[in-house]
Amino acid sequence: MKHMKHVKHTQRKKRMVRTLSILCLLFFALLFTGCTSTDTAAETQDVPAQETAAETQDVPAQETAAGTQDVPDAVTVIDMMGRTITLEEPARRIVALTASDCEILYAIGAGDTLVGRGTYCDYPAEVLEVPAVESGANTNIEEIIALKPDVLLMSDMAQTEDQIAQLEAAGIQVVVSEAVDIEGVYYAIEMIGTLMGLEENAAAVIDSMKATFSDIAQRASGDGSETIYFEVSPLQYGLWTAGTHTFMDEIASMLGLTNCFADVNGWGEISEEQLLERNPDYIVTITMYFGEGPTPEEEILSRAGWENVTAVQNKAILNLQNNELSRPAPRLADGARMLFEFIYGE
Amino acid sequence: MKKRAEHFRTMEYIIFTAVTLAVLAGCICIGSVSIPLKDTVTVIRNAVTGTPQPEALAVSIILSVRLPRVLCVALSGAALALSGAAMQGLLKNPLADGSTLGVSSGASLGAVIAIAFGIRFPALPFAGTMIMAIVFAFLSLLMILGLSYKLDYSLSTNTIILIGVIYSMFVSSIMNVIIAFAGDKVKDITFWTLGSLQNSNYQNVLILTGAFAVCGSILFFRARELNAFAVGEDNARHVGVDVRRTKLIVLITVSVLIGVCVSIGGTISFVGLVTPHMVRMLVGPNHRRLLPASAFGGAVFLLLADLAARILLSPIELPIGVVTSLVGALVFIFIFYQTRKR
Repeated sequence: MKHMKHVKHTQRKKRMVRTLSILCLLFFALLFTGCTSTDTAAETQDVPAQETAAETQDVPAQETAAGTQDVPDAVTVIDMMGRTITLEEPARRIVALTASDCEILYAIGAGDTLVGRGTYCDYPAEVLEVPAVESGANTNIEEIIALKPDVLLMSDMAQTEDQIAQLEAAGIQVVVSEAVDIEGVYYAIEMIGTLMGLEENAAAVIDSMKATFSDIAQRASGDGSETIYFEVSPLQYGLWTAGTHTFMDEIASMLGLTNCFADVNGWGEISEEQLLERNPDYIVTITMYFGEGPTPEEEILSRAGWENVTAVQNKAILNLQNNELSRPAPRLADGARMLFEFIYGE
Repeated sequence: MKKRAEHFRTMEYIIFTAVTLAVLAGCICIGSVSIPLKDTVTVIRNAVTGTPQPEALAVSIILSVRLPRVLCVALSGAALALSGAAMQGLLKNPLADGSTLGVSSGASLGAVIAIAFGIRFPALPFAGTMIMAIVFAFLSLLMILGLSYKLDYSLSTNTIILIGVIYSMFVSSIMNVIIAFAGDKVKDITFWTLGSLQNSNYQNVLILTGAFAVCGSILFFRARELNAFAVGEDNARHVGVDVRRTKLIVLITVSVLIGVCVSIGGTISFVGLVTPHMVRMLVGPNHRRLLPASAFGGAVFLLLADLAARILLSPIELPIGVVTSLVGALVFIFIFYQTRKR
């Protein structure tokens, strides 16, 4: 009897340990999913590319000059993680994983060298004809190697050292392009220009961006008293906005506007109550419109409780749905101009 | 030990309702933007009596943002806890709940499919995600239970939970496949899966109230059968319960409740799991007492979790699921440990 009881007891104990361990597993799985969603937001903020860009800004041009003296066509760049990459000749076959790098390549007239693109690259339209490869967390090294590029352009978000080593072993040079501010975008364009042997085109793109920015910054008469709210995700899915350290914020201050969520760092989900209290003068939404139901502007105008928001009363809502203001690419200048025209007219 | 009443007595109803209403009122008064209590009362009194409102901001915040949200949260909490309690009784399984069984994941899959392929039903223009969520919740439940029966007729805790966990992973991989093909709508889907009660409006409140009233009363009138099930399915059959019918009715009802909740607020885990356990310690295992008490308990639990999500990091909002999982998991381990130690 006693023995029976003992057996029963250990069985129960075993069962308890088993169930507890399952619970712990569940718990950690949940914790982990919780973390990953916040991580992505944090990641974009902490990238130290700003420093790298600032420190090395003048270096590549000099080095390239020195390089060309030794071996005729050789190019050397320092990428945005501070790694030095030397090619025997300008790159002819490129795989670019981020949408912004694809845009830069087309902008400097090197679109025809693109042999592979990340899944989310969608501008300009021609890029959709280029074979797509998985990017980000699902990056598939084999797929990239099969395309036999000279250079892989990517951001430093999801790739591990091992993956970079694998690619380099396959003879593919990895160049990291990771701009977090407009200075960084200039650096990326210059770097990619050097890589492709198209320095002049790159310089022209940068000059045109700078011209646009200085033009609108001069003509913008705002003194920071008017506020703007950038809506990244509509109310239906929870309001998300772009706070400081985003391109939208940088361009807003260029136009003499104050981002009404300047106390949020990077992108974050914000409270609807706070938005109503902060009462922005302008709203920019980047929600896509699929041609059915109300347009994003109409949807914002119809929200209950938003009737008293200044931007809603003045119908001062702009929809920039083609990523003009969210990608580190030359089109930032277009986005800035559209925003300028929206706010200051013509 | 004092013998507990079979029914949920009127006095207990009054106490539970009072506590729930007090928490509800507290959640309406506290928020990311602080509004003086006096103004809050004025706004609500004016809204009820139809007197013109004085200050615009407080009116917008309380009537258009806070009130519908708080009501949605309370109703979702009640519905989720009720379905958790019913499932735990029906399956005689203390770990049964929409999230552990994979029903919530199934419902989200339905909603994601509806968003990705733009599924709409002509009669109910905005109910596409909701109907798909309900259908998928029910199909998932059938699939998981069917498979569990095949493997283990007694439907033991471990089998069901393991299959539930595997099913959730399977569903999340299917969702990733859909996201990979969804192109333009990737962003919408990603934000949807994060879950949010921000868009709560009075239409949602009405839908939740309706679903809760109908499904709640169906479940409540099955409380006696659930008591029989809690002893064992064979026992239920022996005392004359139509096992198959009861089971089907309870499962469909639970799927509808979970589907509606998921389509409005996304997956909110642990409410349905933890609340019935906490409540059981208070009112005992009889389902005629447990079911109504769980509904009240769930409402209070989710209201407090939502309050934390709204004000802790203001102006940033936390996803409510993060708060419930964090608190719920810890509370659950504690309860589990306490009951096993005894």
